[in-house]
Amino acid sequence: MTSERRMASRGHYGELLRRYLLPQKRTIIGLAALLILSTALQLVNPQIIRFFIDKAQSEADLQPLLLAACLFIGFSVVQGIVSVVATYFSENVGWKTTNALRGDLAAHCLSLDMPFHKSHTSGAIIERVDGDVNALANFFSSLIINLIGNALLMIGILVLLFRESWMIGTGMTVFVIAAVFVIQRIRRLASPLWTKWRQANAELYGFIGEQLEGTEDIRANGAAGFVMGRFYRMLRVMLPLRIKAFLGFASMWSTTIIVFALGNAMAFAISAYLWKQGSITIGTVYLIFYYTELLSKPIEKIRTQMEDLQKADASITRIRALFETRSSIADGPGAALPAGALAVKFDDVTFRYEDGGAEPTLDSLALQLQPGEVLGLLGRTGSGKSTLARLLLRFYDPQEGAIKLGDTDIRQLKLNQLRKRVTLVTQNIEIIEGTIRDNLTFYDESIRDERIVEVLEQLGLGSWYAAMPEGLDTRLASGGGSLSAGEAQLLAFARVFLTDPGLVIMDEASSRLDPLTEQRIEEAISRLLANRSCIIIAHRLATVQRADQILILENGRIIEYGRRTQLAADPSSRFSTMLATGLEEVLV
Amino acid sequence: MTTLQYLIRLITYRTRLYVFNALAWSIIYLVPIVPGLITKEFFDSLTGSGSLKMGTWGIIALVLGASVGRVVVIVLGFITDVQFRFRMGMMLRRNLLQHVLKQPGARAIPVSPGEAISHFRDDVDQSEEAASWSVDVFGLTCFAAVSSYILVGIDLQMTLLVFLPLVVVVSVAQLSTSRLQKYRAASRESTSRVTGAISEMFSNVQAIQVAGAEERVIERFRQFNDDRRRTMLKDKLMGEALNSIFANTVNLGTGLILLVAGQKMQSGSFTIGDFSLFVYYLTFITSIITNVGTFITHFKQMGVALERLLTLLQGAPARLLTLKDTLYLRKGHDEELAEVAAGSVASDAAGPLRALEVSGLTYRFPETGRGIEDVRLQLKGGSFTVVTGTIGSGKTTLVRTLLGLLPKDEGTIKWNGRVVQDPGTFFTPANSAYSAQIPRMYSDTLRNNILLGQREEDGALEGAIHAAVMEYDIEHLQHGLETMIGPRGVKLSGGQMQRTAAARMLVRDAQLYVFDDLSSALDVETEQKLWERLFESRGDATCLVVSHRRAALTHADHIIVMKEGRIEAEGTAEELLRTNETFQELWSGDERAKG
Repeated sequence: MTSERRMASRGHYGELLRRYLLPQKRTIIGLAALLILSTALQLVNPQIIRFFIDKAQSEADLQPLLLAACLFIGFSVVQGIVSVVATYFSENVGWKTTNALRGDLAAHCLSLDMPFHKSHTSGAIIERVDGDVNALANFFSSLIINLIGNALLMIGILVLLFRESWMIGTGMTVFVIAAVFVIQRIRRLASPLWTKWRQANAELYGFIGEQLEGTEDIRANGAAGFVMGRFYRMLRVMLPLRIKAFLGFASMWSTTIIVFALGNAMAFAISAYLWKQGSITIGTVYLIFYYTELLSKPIEKIRTQMEDLQKADASITRIRALFETRSSIADGPGAALPAGALAVKFDDVTFRYEDGGAEPTLDSLALQLQPGEVLGLLGRTGSGKSTLARLLLRFYDPQEGAIKLGDTDIRQLKLNQLRKRVTLVTQNIEIIEGTIRDNLTFYDESIRDERIVEVLEQLGLGSWYAAMPEGLDTRLASGGGSLSAGEAQLLAFARVFLTDPGLVIMDEASSRLDPLTEQRIEEAISRLLANRSCIIIAHRLATVQRADQILILENGRIIEYGRRTQLAADPSSRFSTMLATGLEEVLV
Repeated sequence: MTTLQYLIRLITYRTRLYVFNALAWSIIYLVPIVPGLITKEFFDSLTGSGSLKMGTWGIIALVLGASVGRVVVIVLGFITDVQFRFRMGMMLRRNLLQHVLKQPGARAIPVSPGEAISHFRDDVDQSEEAASWSVDVFGLTCFAAVSSYILVGIDLQMTLLVFLPLVVVVSVAQLSTSRLQKYRAASRESTSRVTGAISEMFSNVQAIQVAGAEERVIERFRQFNDDRRRTMLKDKLMGEALNSIFANTVNLGTGLILLVAGQKMQSGSFTIGDFSLFVYYLTFITSIITNVGTFITHFKQMGVALERLLTLLQGAPARLLTLKDTLYLRKGHDEELAEVAAGSVASDAAGPLRALEVSGLTYRFPETGRGIEDVRLQLKGGSFTVVTGTIGSGKTTLVRTLLGLLPKDEGTIKWNGRVVQDPGTFFTPANSAYSAQIPRMYSDTLRNNILLGQREEDGALEGAIHAAVMEYDIEHLQHGLETMIGPRGVKLSGGQMQRTAAARMLVRDAQLYVFDDLSSALDVETEQKLWERLFESRGDATCLVVSHRRAALTHADHIIVMKEGRIEAEGTAEELLRTNETFQELWSGDERAKG
């Protein structure tokens, strides 16, 4: 690691601590007091032993010896209690800080754009938002107890050793500095090994997650063997990585053992010398030995803390990278939108999914929709219909041209303002684990139950709802579970009915409905669209019957655009050809 | 399976490795015997009561030598440990995954995928820890035996005092286990709620963003987090209190030694060297006991983990969890691995389909009690049967139950007159192939997504792609068939996914093709081509199709109309048009759909 990068990494430790630890100030001050008490108790015990040994050598009176022994036991017990209390508080601080961080990180990820979510599976995000943040939890909570507490203990011991003799004090100080330095060195060697192991882990769980979501296709097409084969191949890559990570771990432990043997040896040499000189008692020799042994605890703890840091290091880097991932969709400053139905305008919009990609998905698209009008958008799969919807909701921004709602460029609007007024119903079924109510309102408690039930009835889900054992509190499984695809799609409709948009986009929204159901909800949709603009994306003509305008797309270009009635009346139009083809529908 | 049986089965997965590991760690634990003796010698040499007379420098050389020896064994110990625990953990994950893939596909896991992943990750890790820490028990035994032999040689009464704390620790650990287990279960549950929430959140990002519900979702997430903090704190407090008791046994023991040693030291029967040795061993005994305590904790927690892992098995025998098959880690296993990947485990071909008879088929969703009731149907070999009906009428449930993707509650399925025992295993290639209503894509190339391990044989892939009307799409993908698709690759449109699934089905040689609502996301022209090519390419294969498209209905030899989970009517389109009201509406609905 270059020194610049080290500085930078310290910088973001500092920033994290400021942002998440500072609000916990008061608990932290209390903790500090407990730590000082606990440290003092640990330091005083060896002094008692020295007193004991020296007294046992000289006097015949047993009384002070017994008193010393009792004092020793008493202090130990108090110290034990103090350390439990301190751990409790530091754990609490750790969880509070990381919970805040986890929430912020999740909120940030949720605000990111589609290209991000397309490139990150939910398994991989769990690994970041939970796995990596958990690694930090140890860091936050034990940082105070272990790092600061043990630093205090270490300094205390060194000061007390200096009191005995400058020689042993200096010797031990040199030893501690050298030990920390060497251990730090080794840590840097071992750190990247852990990062690799964690990455391999994240990939494995990402893979398993995908399989768990797609068991149906695998099972019925006899592909279990294929999946297992991939699993086994991943294991082959993972084993060597894990061995290396463990050896990194072993090398750190080994280093401390050697370092401490050296420290012990030095303490033996110096105290033997001082004893032979007659400048210390045998009790003091034992005291020095005891303190040297006691030093191993803080250094050892600081070492494990460094290991946590090492894991945290990797995690912090990844978390920071995630925080720094900016959505390519910048939130707008906010602007006024007229109430009621919204006018829509596309000014020569050109869009490519990949910058500099060959063919644009939408090419110089221009269209205009008056408030309250319905646009029927036709075209074959891949012609760019859905892309147009995604642009309107700003899941992507066009490279050229502008999209306007009312008279406002949508890039001027706040995203949540935009998405409150423009809603999209797709054929994708996104049912979350939770109650029916949660699924329809997304936890918006201002929506009354009666309203929800009313909407369900309008959409012909009345009898379905009546069969639900716990009404709106019935839990739905993730991904739909016991719902049929059609029912799930009607629920998606119901979501829109519970909001108050100015523009509704229906992207093949009824494709999973059978014609009978589609007819049944016609009326409900008419009511929904009253005083709203609408874009209906379809590959079936029936779906666009209510449209005022018709637009036919091919390869991202408009090949026909006009009023429906006019196009239908014009025998040379594509639209009327489609209508006229009669029995078999043809759409080219 | 009890926790102990579970532990034993884990250990015996690779018994030899485990024995090596236990041996290595026992030595690691035994090595500190030496520095203790050296320290005693150091103090005794100073006070003149030493016996070895090796001088300060000799003692220092011994200290260094012993530590180098210890390091060597530690490196060995880490290697045996990682080799053992990696195999053991992955064996569990393999068995879980393998089991899940054998379950009825539409109900393969009883929890959300996010939660299941936390079982795969955390609960297996927990088991791994417990099995790995169990070697410490041997270490303790060895150290206790050797050190007590030495200590008794010096002073019996004091030795008893040294081991007194041991009794304390073990009994405290025993007493607190039920508490510990309760808190642990609560904290694990709140943890899986948090991971579940993350997984839900990010599998449904688009829905949340479209609904503008980000803040509310996050608010709920923060609440789950706070619940977790509370349960975790209890869990940790309990653990820390135990740890503190373990850690303080050293001080307690030292205090006890001090209480008794005063008199003996004054009388000269107990030297300072003896004192140092007692305290030194006490430290190690306690740290080893702490490790054993850690093992006991891990062991209890493993009990909780085991329970949670068993829920993933959905009632299957617990032994499945610890099946001891190879993990194919060695190079020598290359061929067998290739065989596994090629899916040689597929069902035995039952021969050409002449008749498929289903009677009394019933499946009710446990949550709602709805589903299908008493369905009876017959497919003749080479026929084309369409299942139709309004939404929620049980069409998808019917085909899923037939194929064993949902576990049937009642009913029999006969293939050429012979009862099919395990539909889930039977209805796979070469007997049948299936394309789901909402197909899943995996993060892999388009080619692999279609083949899913199927061997590529003379033009089968090209044929399937042609029949599924995919050529045009593949041409327009940047890397054609090698394009990475799925959650981490190019996102295909709904129609492209359905046709990929169709190709996935058609590339497999099967007697029976079952497709659920194949054309719901297709434009009319593509759908038209798709049906035509299907009829062309299916040969004598039997087809069972869920659809309400007229293109499918007009081609059907036989149509089944479902209503409220039962068969309402069946026959040809002509017959049904005359007699069945639902069918008339569905048919004319599609008519109107033609504008």
